[in-house]
Amino acid sequence: MASPIEDEIQAEIAQHKILIYGKGTKAMPMCGFTRETMQFFDKYGYPYELIDALPNPAKREALTKMTNWPTLPKVFINGQFYGDTDILDPMEKKGEIEPLLKDAFKNG
Amino acid sequence: MMTTHTLTGYVRQALPDAVVSVTDRTGTMDHFSIRVVSDLFKGKNLMDRHRLIYGALSEPMKDGRIHALEIKAETTDGS
Repeated sequence: MASPIEDEIQAEIAQHKILIYGKGTKAMPMCGFTRETMQFFDKYGYPYELIDALPNPAKREALTKMTNWPTLPKVFINGQFYGDTDILDPMEKKGEIEPLLKDAFKNG
Repeated sequence: MMTTHTLTGYVRQALPDAVVSVTDRTGTMDHFSIRVVSDLFKGKNLMDRHRLIYGALSEPMKDGRIHALEIKAETTDGS
């Protein structure tokens, strides 16, 4: 059975087509990788949400377990986990990001 | 902080054939960019390749010797 914290994460993932769990806020990212991830999505112009995982260690732990991925940031697109910019950058080079985002936002 | 040699050793425990190139991004030997070339990545997608590397480096990542890590994972034929 999923814990309340997992339910909360699932709800957030469902609510935001592009969701970054990172360190800090949009106004004040606290880590270079979080900033890089924001810049990555800024290019495309689709709205994204950044949720600060730093103040909530239990949530950070739950996220790590759910994704089997130890580091922040963690990126979800259309409900699916895509790791971080180490994964997104090569996908972008292959031209896979634009269609993925287009598809995610096709119904508004 | 940790040396390139130690870091490479951790990676090779999981991937004995790995060729590891390490870049110190900040001059402090704890923010690294690494490129790992291994044929044990064959048939594995990028996320699973990274999971293998994170698994190999979990100890120095937990104890803080590695503060930040950027990864490139390839096979010898460049895939």
